[in-house]
Parts: sequence; structure tokens; C-alpha cells
Amino acid sequence: MNLVNGKILNDNEAHDALERLGELVLEARFSAPPSAETVIAACEKLGAMGAEFIPLLVKGGLSRERAEAEIELARSMLSREKLEARLKLELGALEAEFTPIDSPVPVRHSLAPLGTLLHIAAGNAEGLPAFSVIEGLLTGNVNILKPPSNDGGLSAILLSRLVSVEPSLKNRIFVFDIPSSDTAKMRKLAAVSDAVVVWGGDEAVRGARLLASPDTAIIEWGHKLSFCYASGEVSEAELLGVCRNICETEQLYCSSCQGIFLDTEDEAELFAFAERFADILERAAADATSAYGKRVRAQKTLEMRTLELEGSEKGMRIIKRKGCAVIAENKTALEPSLMFRTPWVRPLPRNRILKTLIPYKSRLQTASLICPQRDSEALSELLIRSGVVRLCAAERMSEAYCGVPHDGCMPLSRYVRIVSGELS
Amino acid sequence: MSLRSRLFSRRDPYARDGAEELFLAAMRETLEKNAAGSDKYAEILRREGFSPEMLKTEGDLAKIPPIPTLYFKRNRLFCVPERKLIVRAASSGTSGNASEVGFDLSSLLIGFGALRRFFRFHRVTSIIPTNDIVLGYEPAKHNRAGAVKTAYLTTKFAPALRREYALKDNGAGYDINIDGIRKALLGYAKSPFPVRFVGFPSYMFFLLKTLEKEGISLALPARSAVLLGGGWKEFSGESVDRAEMLELIEARLGIKKERCFEFFSAVEHPLAYLKCACGHFHIPAYSRVIIRDTETLEPLPEGEAGLLNFITPLVSSMPLCSVITDDIAIFGTAPCPCGNPAPYFDLLARSGVSGIKTCAAEAGERLVDR
Repeated sequence: MNLVNGKILNDNEAHDALERLGELVLEARFSAPPSAETVIAACEKLGAMGAEFIPLLVKGGLSRERAEAEIELARSMLSREKLEARLKLELGALEAEFTPIDSPVPVRHSLAPLGTLLHIAAGNAEGLPAFSVIEGLLTGNVNILKPPSNDGGLSAILLSRLVSVEPSLKNRIFVFDIPSSDTAKMRKLAAVSDAVVVWGGDEAVRGARLLASPDTAIIEWGHKLSFCYASGEVSEAELLGVCRNICETEQLYCSSCQGIFLDTEDEAELFAFAERFADILERAAADATSAYGKRVRAQKTLEMRTLELEGSEKGMRIIKRKGCAVIAENKTALEPSLMFRTPWVRPLPRNRILKTLIPYKSRLQTASLICPQRDSEALSELLIRSGVVRLCAAERMSEAYCGVPHDGCMPLSRYVRIVSGELS
Repeated sequence: MSLRSRLFSRRDPYARDGAEELFLAAMRETLEKNAAGSDKYAEILRREGFSPEMLKTEGDLAKIPPIPTLYFKRNRLFCVPERKLIVRAASSGTSGNASEVGFDLSSLLIGFGALRRFFRFHRVTSIIPTNDIVLGYEPAKHNRAGAVKTAYLTTKFAPALRREYALKDNGAGYDINIDGIRKALLGYAKSPFPVRFVGFPSYMFFLLKTLEKEGISLALPARSAVLLGGGWKEFSGESVDRAEMLELIEARLGIKKERCFEFFSAVEHPLAYLKCACGHFHIPAYSRVIIRDTETLEPLPEGEAGLLNFITPLVSSMPLCSVITDDIAIFGTAPCPCGNPAPYFDLLARSGVSGIKTCAAEAGERLVDR
């Protein structure tokens, strides 16, 4: 489903609009961007309409409860309170008026939009493509969205509703529903954009880099990995926190705990720890009903059985429990788990943290550190030096607070330029 | 004659009387061959505390270490030197991994003979030549998918006069050949010989929908038949109702439902099962089915849904004696109105995680896609 000038277009009409995209974007940029206040007011109204989108989400395959929870989350993310706080936190400090220490001419640093953003969105969370556009609007940009293939028209519908409550936004939002394999069209979208905002895995990021010419910036929100690091005595309550994150997120998010690195070189200690962890995970799994049914559990059972058959060659121990499994392996490497409550436990002595994690460069996201107080500072420092961007208690790994940096930066700040002007 | 040959060459594929002992003996025979031919497999048996002589009753069959088809997608495990593998095939793997299997001459001859008797028993084979429409891939050097071989072999159960493919080889890949199929079909309709459709249900449905859209109704010669197998993949978003499909076949092609055959098979379990009029896949005397708990893999009682585990002594070149597929099924022994006294299984779903979204790095690639 395509959206141009507030109208839903079929593919033929969208094709014509795409041919004239350069002009349409130029036209939009002639007019002053809508104020952040205008966008916030429109978002609030859109949030209030949340309930009407529930059937759409259910049609897209979500359970009613999940759909309601998603809408509630969206409403909160679109609330005036949160958007205003974000603008202040993420952009406030960038604006300034001062006299430089090495020049007599006073200056003002003010913010201006980058111009035109092409959002190449991923399909891993409902509504995220439209939200990426809203972030672009808040910062005054013209936005072109290429929705994910499994979007089912949701983004175009959400954004057309946004235009219907605030018509002045209509020429600043374009949705072109074209397959990313259509590189000729994708290049046209990129050619009129100042920056490509890409969400997704390696393939999406690589695609965007190929698409954009050297004069077009690339803003990457790639996939990440998160884990727990444990050293010394670990209490049951702390492990329970890890298990809660694993069960609630099914290990599907960038911020989900994929497994526990244990500060040890002793295989026996590793396996004993894994057994204990599996007991706690089994209890946590029983307490947290999974949104995924028998088909997923059956698939995990087959994968565990296959690992078990392969395992003896690899020094691996599969601890299968009801509704979950722990895979203990004497292998010092960061990898995603098999997800759906199947964390790994691997050894990572502290003196090898840097060497092991540095190769994962921009892949690292959240780490939860469980260790005695006296080691906390040194281990945190090592994890940060390795590239981790968030440290928190395990049960909060996947909870975002208002103003949380996204993968090490403030998202809105990436969509603006800081313009320096002289004050006379 | 090996015990295995004797088991598979019985005329009535379903008659179990007298075959129980033979089945167990043939299982022991193949398991011993498998273990003798592969240290890796022998090690698996040893580790799981199983040895072939432990098979004394049908109840002991569950003790054979079951191997998921996923294992064969990631590991090559042959029990004969590779030069003895006459045919190699890969599972069609809707996306991503494919199993590579290999059959030696004895497995192939026995399996092929059993298949021929099975088709004859169900009156699928014909001595009258037929015009064939293959709803699948044209055989090509660059594609080793087992489904191609199955469809191609199936067309050989009646002498084929002509053969047209829904997916035509263009040397490097495949083109969808709807125009060619339509043209061939209109030509076949004028010929006195029966027409046979062989291949994937989803392509059959697609073809029927095209005929419906174009208002084409044919009255194909008597003894024309539809042979479907290979799962409802690829178009799985479009759920196809079996009854609707059978109605469309009669309306568009003039083929009655008695001449529509739906088969089940797997590359890792190369035997055919035919869906009866009541929707059940009856189990021939040369194989057994165990339904296993989706969590613990423990055998489940009759009527409970779980993972489908096939037991057969057919293959000596690979350890395929006890294979768990990705299917969720139930097992039944109640008398079936179709008259076939053999126990049966019903397919319910495929296990898997299709449509799951993740943003954990590199994780998507690790999801076993369906």
C-alpha cells in the first residue's frame, strides 16, 4: 500500500508519483517544516485512536492481548509527555548561544532537519516503520518510507490517519511499497534523500550501503546482541531476573539476553552452573505463559535433540527442561541463542573479555552484570571498553525508559544538522 | 533373500498377519548393517544404550534412538562408501537447509519395488499410456531436490506420451510455465489417452484457479488422475481447503474424487502413504509410526498429537530406521470406514517458527524456516 500527499495509491499511481518524486520533495521543502508542537499534537490524536487499529493488528497475525499491549505501548510512546521529554533530552543540549573562547563574534547553534530521509524499515515490530517516520517528522524532515514486505499496509494506514488529523503533514510523508529487490526504484528513492535510515539485519544494512551514493548519509539501526556476564557467587534472585527477561522476550529482541558468560575456566564449574540455571529457568518458564504454541516448542525439541546427537563431538551439554533448555558449551564466543527460552552458558574468564568481545564491534548492545560489589567497577569498565552500550539489571534489559540512547546514540540527534550562525 | 526384501515384497502392502516377526527381524538386520557401516552411528547407539538385539517386541521400537530430519540437514551420515550411492537426493527445503540423502542399489531396488506394488494395489498405475502434467520442477542438473525425482519417477508408473512441467528449466533456474501448461492441457483434452497431474498441491490449486478465472472447463478422458504430494508449502499463506480443491478438479477437469490421490512422503523416509477417502494415511506393514511428545519426545498414547516418528528397515545406506519429521500428527487404530484395516496417522501441522520476527543480530538466519 502506497501513500502520497495523504492519499492511498495503487501501484500504477505510485509508479507515476515515483517518477515525479524529485519535484514532490522539492515542493514540500519550499514550505517551512511543521513545528514539533504540530507533530506532537497530531501524534497525541493518533494515539487516542489506538483502539481502531487493534483489528488490523489481529488480522496481521497478533493475538488480541498482544495487539492491545502493542497499542498501549504505542500510545505511551506517542504521548505528549514522552515526546516533549525526548526532544528536550535528545536535542536540547545541542542548541546554544555563546561567544567562542577564540573569537569575538557571538554565535548561535540551532538545529535544522537533515532534509529528506528514506526510511527502510524492518518487520520485527509492528508500527515501528511508522514510528521511524514520526521521528523524522519531529525533527522537521521530509520522509519517504519503504515498508517491510510483511507490513500488510499497516504503515500506510497509520500514516494516512496521521495526515487526516493534521493535514499540513501530508506533503512530508511518502510511502512506497516496493520490494527491496527492485533496485532501480530503490535507487530513485535514495537519490532524492539526504540520508537513508535503515533498520534490520546485515542484509538490509548491506543493501542500503549499496543503494546510497557517497553523497547520501547512512543511519544504521542494525541488529544487536545482548547477554549476561556473571562472576563469583550468583544469587537465585539474580538468575531469576535473567530468566524473566528470557521468558518474556523469548530472546527475540536486540536487548534480549541470549545467554550467560561465566567468569571461569573450569568446565565442571560451567556445567554445574548451567544445571542450576536450568532449574531456575524451568520454574520461570512455567510461570510465564508463552505466546508461541506447540509448533514452536516442537521445533525447539527437534533442534535440542539434534544438538544432543551432534553434541558429544563438540563438548556440549544440552540440559533440556520443560518449556526451555540450557545449552552449556565450553566455547568462548558470542552468538545468538536458538531463541524461545534456549539460552547458552559459556565460559569467559575476565582476562579474555576484551579479546573475545571486540570482534563483535557494533553488534553489542545490553549487558547485565552479576558480580560481587568489589568487582563491579572493573568488570563494567571492561564491558564498556569492549563495546557494550547499556548496562542494567537483567530483568530490565528489554525495558526502555524515556530518553534511553538507541544503540549508543540519541536517535533524534541523528536526524538533524547543527547550524552555526553569527549573532550581530 | 534378505529379511528386508521379504518384508517389502509382500503383495498386499497393508496385511500385517505374519509380518510382525518379519518386521522386527528386518529392523534388526538393517540396524546392524547401519551400525557396522558407520562408526558415528554405532557411537550414537552405544551412547544411548541401544543395541539391535534389544528389539524383541513392537514396544521396543521406540527405544531405537530417533533422529530428527534436521540432523540430516546438518550432517552427512552414510553407512556405505559414497561410491555405492546410486541415487542422491536433497529434500526440497522450502527455504534454507536441505537434507542430502543417498541410496545404495539394494535400498533403491527394494524401495522401488514396494512403491510399484503400492501403486498397483491402489490402482494408480496404468498400462495405458498417459499425457502428463508435472506440477513441479523439470529435472535439471542444477537441482537435486528430491521432489523433482519423486514427481519424475511417479510419471513413470504409466508410460508417458508427453510431459509438460509447471516450472521449466532454463539452464540456470526455473520459469513458471502457466502458458505452456494451458496449451498442453488443451491439446491433451483432444487426445483419447488419459491425463495425469503429478506434483505439489499448491501448484495444482494455482492451475485450477487459473482455469476457473479463464472460464476453462475440460472433460478429460476416463482414467485421468491427479497425484499430489509434497506438502502444502510455498503458498501456505493461502490456506487451501481439500474439499474445495476436489470440487474444482471435478468442475474444471472432469476428474472424479476417486481418481485424486494425495500422497505423503519425505526424502528422509522414502516410502509413500496415501490419504484414504476419510482423510487418513494408512500405514503399510513395512513401516510403523510412533507419535512423540513435543517436549520430552516420549511416545504418546493413541489419539494424542505430537511429532511424527517413522520406523522402517528400508534403507541400508543411511541410518533412517527411526526418523522424526517436522510434522505434528496423531495416530489411530479405530476401524476406518474406507475399509482399510491398517492403523493410520493424520497430519495436523508442521512444527516451526514461520513469520517470527527477531532483531537479535544474526538470529534470523538461525531460525529454522518453514
